[in-house]
Amino acid sequence: MASQGILREVVVKMLVECVINELLKLVRKKLTIQQLEDALFLMKAEIDKSDDEIIVIEINPDRTDMLSTEGIARALRTFLNVDSGMAEYPVKKSGLEVIVKPGLKKIREFIACGIVKGVQTSDDLIKEYMHLQEALTTTHGRNRKKASIGLYVFDEIEFPVIYRPAKPESIRFAPLGTEIEMDGPTIVNEHEKGVLYGPIISKHKKWPLLIDSKGNTLSLPPIINSNTLGQVDMTTRNLFIEVTGTHKKTVDQALNIMVTSLAERGGNLESVTVRYPDGTSIITPNLTPKKMLLKVENAARLTGLSLSDIETVNYLRKMGYDARIKGKGNLEVKIPAYRTDVLHPVDLIEDVAIGYGFDRIEPSIPQTATSGKLLPVTRLKNKIRDLLVGTGYQEIKSYVMTSPEIMKTKMLRNKPLTATGNPKSRDYSVLRNSLLPVLLDFASQNQHADYPQRIFEVGDVVMPDAREKTRTKQVPHVCRLVIDTHVNITEMLTEVGFILRNLGLGSKIKFAAEKTPEFIDGRAGKILINGEPMGIFGEISPEVLRNFGIGMPVVAFEMELPRNGMWVM
Amino acid sequence: MAELTIGERKVLGKLVEYDKLVSASELASELQERNERVISILNSIAEKGLIRLDTREHMTHRLTDEGRSYVKDGLPEERLFHAVMDLGGLAKMEAAVAHAGLEQQAKGISVNWARRNGWLEIEKVNGTTILKVKVENAESSVKNVLALLNKGNANVPTKLAGGLETAVERTLVEEKTAKMFEAIIVENRRGEIESLLSQTAEGITDLTPELIASDEWRNCTFRPYNVELAPAFVNYGKKHPYNEFIDWLKEVLVGMGFNEWYGPYVETEFWNNDVLFVPQDHVAREVQDQFRIAEPYDHGDIPDEEYYRRVKAVHENGGDTGSTGWEAPFSREVTTRLCLRSHTTPVSIRYLWEHPESPQKMFIIDRNFRSESLSATHAQEFNQFDGIIMDKGLTLRDLMGYLKEVCHRMGIKKVKFKPGQFPFTEPSIEGFAKHDTLGWIEVAPGGIFRPEVTRPLGITDPVLAWGIGAGRLYMASMDIKDIRDLYSRDLTWLRRAYFVR
Repeated sequence: MASQGILREVVVKMLVECVINELLKLVRKKLTIQQLEDALFLMKAEIDKSDDEIIVIEINPDRTDMLSTEGIARALRTFLNVDSGMAEYPVKKSGLEVIVKPGLKKIREFIACGIVKGVQTSDDLIKEYMHLQEALTTTHGRNRKKASIGLYVFDEIEFPVIYRPAKPESIRFAPLGTEIEMDGPTIVNEHEKGVLYGPIISKHKKWPLLIDSKGNTLSLPPIINSNTLGQVDMTTRNLFIEVTGTHKKTVDQALNIMVTSLAERGGNLESVTVRYPDGTSIITPNLTPKKMLLKVENAARLTGLSLSDIETVNYLRKMGYDARIKGKGNLEVKIPAYRTDVLHPVDLIEDVAIGYGFDRIEPSIPQTATSGKLLPVTRLKNKIRDLLVGTGYQEIKSYVMTSPEIMKTKMLRNKPLTATGNPKSRDYSVLRNSLLPVLLDFASQNQHADYPQRIFEVGDVVMPDAREKTRTKQVPHVCRLVIDTHVNITEMLTEVGFILRNLGLGSKIKFAAEKTPEFIDGRAGKILINGEPMGIFGEISPEVLRNFGIGMPVVAFEMELPRNGMWVM
Repeated sequence: MAELTIGERKVLGKLVEYDKLVSASELASELQERNERVISILNSIAEKGLIRLDTREHMTHRLTDEGRSYVKDGLPEERLFHAVMDLGGLAKMEAAVAHAGLEQQAKGISVNWARRNGWLEIEKVNGTTILKVKVENAESSVKNVLALLNKGNANVPTKLAGGLETAVERTLVEEKTAKMFEAIIVENRRGEIESLLSQTAEGITDLTPELIASDEWRNCTFRPYNVELAPAFVNYGKKHPYNEFIDWLKEVLVGMGFNEWYGPYVETEFWNNDVLFVPQDHVAREVQDQFRIAEPYDHGDIPDEEYYRRVKAVHENGGDTGSTGWEAPFSREVTTRLCLRSHTTPVSIRYLWEHPESPQKMFIIDRNFRSESLSATHAQEFNQFDGIIMDKGLTLRDLMGYLKEVCHRMGIKKVKFKPGQFPFTEPSIEGFAKHDTLGWIEVAPGGIFRPEVTRPLGITDPVLAWGIGAGRLYMASMDIKDIRDLYSRDLTWLRRAYFVR
């Protein structure tokens, strides 16, 4: 969780572009941009940018019902007390049917459909409807995998509509935007949308197809509509809408959001009967609200607000729910069928707080008494940093991610590395398993800076380890190097001695000669603490210096620190 | 006119000798002095109006390791393109990759760029990825740029600017701004300069133990030093400014009674996402956002089967929390997958797993990873600062209070809140801070952990949580515009940089 980045990752925010006049017409209230901005800020949305005509609003992805001008207006209407409670959308039974043929269970099992008659259309509005369709399928529909939406010219379809599996080669129609007929494989391999969304179905032997009773194709879900039945334009007054997908709830919700948004534009809703091969039939859209019980006491306890039953009902109505008192302290809340974000009563409680107004909530500080402390390893790291600064070293801070060239090839080492499978660049594709190569790389990039260069870093390195639950061992290390026209290993050892003695290790340390390729033979050793090898030191071999492109001699040491901050004595 | 110091005398003398515009670095090597010292002396003489000191900034470019390796072996996309050509213009992806001799790691990079350059087309035929050649010759300005820089050419012609930009973006080339100082004596002060240089220094320089012992000093005059000189820059040891900032944050949190905690960079998705109730099909878990670990192991272990069972139930049907859950099957394969943690919040949950009894206050400030190309605004590593408070009776108002207090202690006076949304907290909030120049900036997102997060841990008390981007706060306080400067590889910059509370 966090600002910048972190949440941008967990939460992909969606932008909705609204024509200000259109939005205010739907809200039915005159507002200045500032008033609009203030209201949206308190409702979880934000204005990304605006001019005199257009406003771009950033919507949190949980509010899929606000991914259109119509949806935003609906939420604003209750929030600004133009309306109160749940928006009602009557649905008339059309009696028309959609027949699902056997064989789709493993491919794309579910379908939900609806009809919207007498909807307002214009070039701009059609663009808006398409934008909502796109936004919904991207977020809620997980890039069409879980659910995708199609809009069609109702008057040209011969019912019942058939949803059936079809052999790819037998599929043949002109995709939306072209006059040329293509077969299934051609659409998936060559059409722009086919390349994008084809992988969702292409692994199956048969693909889902929607046709009408005359055999005309509506679409190849989730890829593309046909050019004949699927071409909605400003002359279209009556729409047929279908949602197909792999998750029933997601499919139903997507349809509900789509049709209720269109109903906001004057459309009259009609239902369709979907007949599944197992004999069940379902009437869609089903706009019956879900009911959830809410204890006012729980809302008061979690928010810290004093709330009466009546007030709580009013805040919920302000947030577009219907609620009634069902015995003292208990509310029955009706959740609109277009809301997808209410999983638990805490979700209602948050909306009670939003209805109350975040600008009215007074921060408080409880007296939770605890005594704080740093981790022992942090204290140890800090102590070492102080000692190194005292001996005249500049602290540096490097990325944990690095390249195998730096860690292995240039260092003449071959210790195992933990590698990511999806690096953006090879320079940042593995986790460092030692600090020395990272410091040498740093030195190689600073050959024009003043000498001597005395640098150090204290930080964690990562080693593969099959015994660990995360298959890695993360160890704190300290590394320090000097680069100058003349370097002196004795001086370095004096400094290492100074540091280790001041860590209380005076009587525990021993140095022993060592032979490893990164150091000059006869000028390298290991640091033993209680007889255990804990570090290395020496003068870097000219071969390694050359690999790094370094033109001056270097002496260095690197040592492991105990994870718990304490050496076992 | 005050007399010259010894240093000034040396430098000015040299400048008279040169009698033309000469660079500070040349003077430094000629005088066998440190560059920094010469620049400092030049500044001081320039203040006296005796010399003219020019500074020039110029961009330098140098190849990175990756860039250098591509000069040697060719760009991966180029190698891939030629491999497909060799194979008759149409080839299965795996075959082309093998033919090109590309390592698995370079596969994605090569396919991606070959497609972006319009060289190859990618098709899926019956689940197999097929590459198709679209052009006859693969012309790459990136390649030309690399070749040029490799030859030691410092100047890249403008017609290759696009290639250079791409090469920098791909971290094949590193871009740095360098400053150059050049000095020349001021012609109409020549007479004055020569008279200054001709004055001999009078008096003694050093007080010695012998002079003190013999009382001889009473008969000496001490040659005066110029004590008004700006001190030269020297390179003593000091801490990294970003670490100093982090040390300060830690001090603030410890002062508020918070315990520091630790968690690993490499996590299972169980800890990174599932215990936090992030749905398994959430977009943030896909490869374009989150680093997956592929080698040497790609899956880890469940820490505790009983906890696993409860987390699974919460995802599938809400378990005993009163939630509907995500109403989708929960995959053990996905949850044991290894990744680089994308936020520090998993550490908060690890802490609660070990400390389920109230009251608790914990914090961590550490690194996290996200699959991003390194640029001025994005980095693949960033520091996050997470805190949690668990106690009976905690409320949303208390969370706002804590966030406000943390902000206050960091010097942020004005804070306001709006509702927010995170998959693992409800209610969720976002705190905005008033910054002098940046206006209202989002600094403090937080919330109360959802029951779907706390109940599987056996916790019923409220847990307040926040996760603040430490890097953004630091950048705002240090006026740093480029995110790469947080981990600057420029020693000269680091030697000059400092953090003051």
